[in-house]
Amino acid sequence: MFNRIKNWLEVRIGLDDIVRTHFTEYRVPKNMNVFYTLGCVALTGYVIQVLTGIFLLIYYVPHPEHAFRSVQEIMSKVPFGWLFRQMHVVGSNLMIAAVFLHLITVFLMGNYKRPRELTWIGGGLMLLVTLTFGLSGYLLPWTQLSYWATTVVTSMPTAFPLFGNFVAHILRGGDQVTGTTLGRFFALHIAILPPIFLFLMALHIFLIKRIGISATPFGVSDEEKRPLTQYVRKTHPDGYPFYPYFFQKELVMVMVYGFIMFFIITFMPTLFLPEEANTPADPFKTPGHVRPEWYFLAAYQMLKLIPNKFLGITIQLILVGIFLVWPFLDVYKEKNILKRPILRGVFLFMVALWVVLMFLGRY
Amino acid sequence: MKRRNFLRASIAFLGSVTFLSFLYPLLRFLAPPGGESKTKKLTFLKSEVPVGVSKDIVFNNAPAIVINRPGKGLVAFSRVCTHLGCLVDYDRDKNRMICPCHAAIYDLEGNVLSGPPPKPLPKLPLRVEGENIVIG
Repeated sequence: MFNRIKNWLEVRIGLDDIVRTHFTEYRVPKNMNVFYTLGCVALTGYVIQVLTGIFLLIYYVPHPEHAFRSVQEIMSKVPFGWLFRQMHVVGSNLMIAAVFLHLITVFLMGNYKRPRELTWIGGGLMLLVTLTFGLSGYLLPWTQLSYWATTVVTSMPTAFPLFGNFVAHILRGGDQVTGTTLGRFFALHIAILPPIFLFLMALHIFLIKRIGISATPFGVSDEEKRPLTQYVRKTHPDGYPFYPYFFQKELVMVMVYGFIMFFIITFMPTLFLPEEANTPADPFKTPGHVRPEWYFLAAYQMLKLIPNKFLGITIQLILVGIFLVWPFLDVYKEKNILKRPILRGVFLFMVALWVVLMFLGRY
Repeated sequence: MKRRNFLRASIAFLGSVTFLSFLYPLLRFLAPPGGESKTKKLTFLKSEVPVGVSKDIVFNNAPAIVINRPGKGLVAFSRVCTHLGCLVDYDRDKNRMICPCHAAIYDLEGNVLSGPPPKPLPKLPLRVEGENIVIG
């Protein structure tokens, strides 16, 4: 039966050719390490988010009077509703962590360097879209935490004169966060961001395949020394086949991702759902300890520490801009960060700063 | 002009006009429809706000606060912090207003004492008419 389906497809779409060119004869560098699987892990995380998100949509009601209760009912009354909600909540955090790790490892291995500038920018934009997914989804349960975190974020544009108030007004659909805002964030979360993300992901994968995978700089020299005057696809004729060699590595890492997710759901179910996340939104009472999710904590703390609102937000936007165009700013050909002490120092400083700000924001 | 160039220019022009003609309706569509009625006047009893006590109110669809300051009398402010929109609370013991989000502190005139807010809390017009407090 299986062979008959296979043959049916073979004569119509050339299945064997697809498998051969994209899997069994598609060669990857011999020194590709486990960190190269993080993109695939993030992609799996996204697929989990889409599937669980669709399940949650069946019961969720995007209205301020019903949103909180519908989410509580998903958790307590709908059979296995708690499982899919927890997978969605924990999965969103893990997916963002996977994307962060992917970016950090790409950075450390210098794989953003030419001719892969566009791949880096596409990945950076995907991170921003992923964070917007997190932000827009955070409001949907209509809890105290989500309401006030959204109030803070949608107030940020007001730091900019002339157009700031207009942008904040458009984001919220009014002067304050209301049911209109909930409707907008719901539309953003389920209808506007997914196609943008899919487009960026398709572009990202296309670029990886079109430009060719870059080897790690450790142990071998992998710099693009040729002058970039014409397109040449990077191939690895002496490398290992993608399937089964690298595919197995990806499968193991996806299982590790699943293990972490279900470990948290089973043994630490309140890690991402603290007490405040189970209190319905009250537009007339800001709770004592408003704080965003961990991935926004550093930015949140910076706003506390910098005494000028415009300056605080502008510095953050500049940092995001530098991050996106980094391949154009880092003009050294050396990919190995172990041979670049200044870059290594700056990187460690930035990571330490991020961790410290996150810690201060948390407590 | 060659026929080909003319066609190119025409298509570019028509395309741009079509795009721009949708841009304005889109911006108007995204802007909130408005129409929420504003509170012109809000009246309540003076006895509801004894000395050293505050009362949270909603004025013009926005949260506000009335404080009866010891020795200085009544005053009304918007509760919306001018930093990033969280709601300030009256700290009776320290005679100041505090925003819980980014630790901003205002005095009872609405001025910023510390923290990141760029400007003071907006004051609301308040007057006492007999036994009533009238906001607006």
